Amino acid sequence: MSLLQEVSSSLPLAEDDMRIVALRRVTHRYHVRNTIASAVLWIITSLVMLLFVSIILKLLIDGASSLVRISFYGTGPDGIAKELFNTFYILILTELLLFPISLAAAIYLIEYVPQGRLVTIIHFAAETLAGVPAIVLGMFGVLVFSGYADLGISRLAGALTLLCFNLPLGLRVCEDALVSVPRELREGALALGATRWQAIRTVVLPSALPGLVTGLILTAGRIISEAAPLLFTMGIFNPANVFTLDPTLASDTLTTRLYYLKGPGAGSSSLSYTQETALAAGIAAILILLLLLINIGARALSRVIYRKMTAE
Amino acid sequence: MQKILERSHISDRLVHVIFFVCAVLLIAVILSITFFIGSKAFIIFFQGVDLRTFLTSHHWDPTGGSGEPSFGAGGLILGSVITSVLAVIITVPLAIGTAVFFTELAPKSIVNILQPLIEIFTGVPSVVMGFLGLVILVPFLQKVSSPITGGLALGGYGWGAATLVLATMILPTITSISIDALRVTPNSIREASLALGATHWQTTASAVIPAASAGLGTAVVLGMTRAIGETLAVSLVLAGSSFPDKLFTLATFFQPNVNITMLIARDFGETSGISEDAYWTLAFVLLVISFLFVCISRFLASRSVYK
Repeated sequence: MSLLQEVSSSLPLAEDDMRIVALRRVTHRYHVRNTIASAVLWIITSLVMLLFVSIILKLLIDGASSLVRISFYGTGPDGIAKELFNTFYILILTELLLFPISLAAAIYLIEYVPQGRLVTIIHFAAETLAGVPAIVLGMFGVLVFSGYADLGISRLAGALTLLCFNLPLGLRVCEDALVSVPRELREGALALGATRWQAIRTVVLPSALPGLVTGLILTAGRIISEAAPLLFTMGIFNPANVFTLDPTLASDTLTTRLYYLKGPGAGSSSLSYTQETALAAGIAAILILLLLLINIGARALSRVIYRKMTAE
Repeated sequence: MQKILERSHISDRLVHVIFFVCAVLLIAVILSITFFIGSKAFIIFFQGVDLRTFLTSHHWDPTGGSGEPSFGAGGLILGSVITSVLAVIITVPLAIGTAVFFTELAPKSIVNILQPLIEIFTGVPSVVMGFLGLVILVPFLQKVSSPITGGLALGGYGWGAATLVLATMILPTITSISIDALRVTPNSIREASLALGATHWQTTASAVIPAASAGLGTAVVLGMTRAIGETLAVSLVLAGSSFPDKLFTLATFFQPNVNITMLIARDFGETSGISEDAYWTLAFVLLVISFLFVCISRFLASRSVYK
């Protein structure tokens, strides 16, 4: 009797023990897996970040010897003064076209029309346009702006092509800036009897200013860095009279120069191979510097504007 | 008073019209791109080139530099597709791993430092990446691949280098879109999973990633779109002028090769007549491919529950 009792009471206990042991083992396994997964993620991220940092550093270090050379900023065959000027010229010209148009389109989509079919269609158009390869846009630009519109290979044709290329991005950043303005501000202005345009001009746009400035600078980064639309529309020439504001002039930019220097035009200039590579490294470094400047500037500027506006 | 009111109403209506025009401009641009490129895309097929040759032959020589002009774009299309697909395959685990780390694991201070880095890197000019590939990757690959290619003088250029350059370029794009996709999954999903006793990794792998799968899919498709349209970086490291004869050997990856965008960038400016029309057909092919990708990404986005 006592033996039977012992057996019957000890059996479930043993089973429980086994269950606990098994459970512990399972938990242990899951915890080990968790640790392994975290370690793997840490390693992946460190590698990716290391790649990014080392690429940026490598570009800056390789270009450093060119960046400190004075003739690098001259107009000689190993100088970039013309391209630098032209890059900023095309940046400003494109931005003058791009920013008002994308802001206007964003205002229309956010403030004027209700969410509906038209908005969907325009967003679909923007997404499709954003997906069009840059080189295809370059061909479109040379056909329509240089050909049909008779602008020839010129800065204006280049700027118009870049406008088409950057419209989707411009629209998105402006929309983001406008959406972040609280509804109540608009309602307050409208309740005071302002027309929609008055409300937008006096209330919405000033509040959206930090976002708009960031957006403007972000599109500027894209305009500087994208070269494929300019390859056919603005050419790879480097005329002597580049320092004019003439929009019908054809001239290369930093990016198209770099492409031509190491691509189809390699070995065709008066420079030696090492000089060519050094020049290319210098251009790459200056592009990276501009990019860093633009990104850091955008962040700092929008913070300053935001602080100023909220403090007043 | 009446006058002021009237004036403000008129200006209100006027700007309304202006804004409308600007918004519709986007539609006009994309329609005219499709129209103008489409109208030039089919000319070569009326001039004796048949579609099958265009798609399957890989002898591309529209100017007839070596004898008869030939219009086989198969090799170019293959080049674009293979480099893009391989680049995406390489990139996706890294990008999604990094995105998961950022959203699920990393302390906030690390995110604040590293996320701007990703954003900055997204904007690195493609031609700069191509230049870097040219001075670092190509010599390296030449050394590594010399047993395969038999010490080819131009070894190192080609699909292998193009794939790696593309992978580096789409890595930040896919990462940042994936981060957005993971961030919008509601915390309640994580909490529910953790409350059931799941570990962090179990939560991530079997709750968060499935919930964000549509968004992650969009990220991959957009990365693919960027890869297939990428021009200057790829053309600097491809450096080929024709498709290599022997196709299915490992050496194909380490010798000068071609893809669609590279040949357009190099030759389109110097062509005329029927050979120019052939490049318009290539552009149309790119346009159709990118449009398909946009449709896929839209479809995926419409399936995602969390936006």
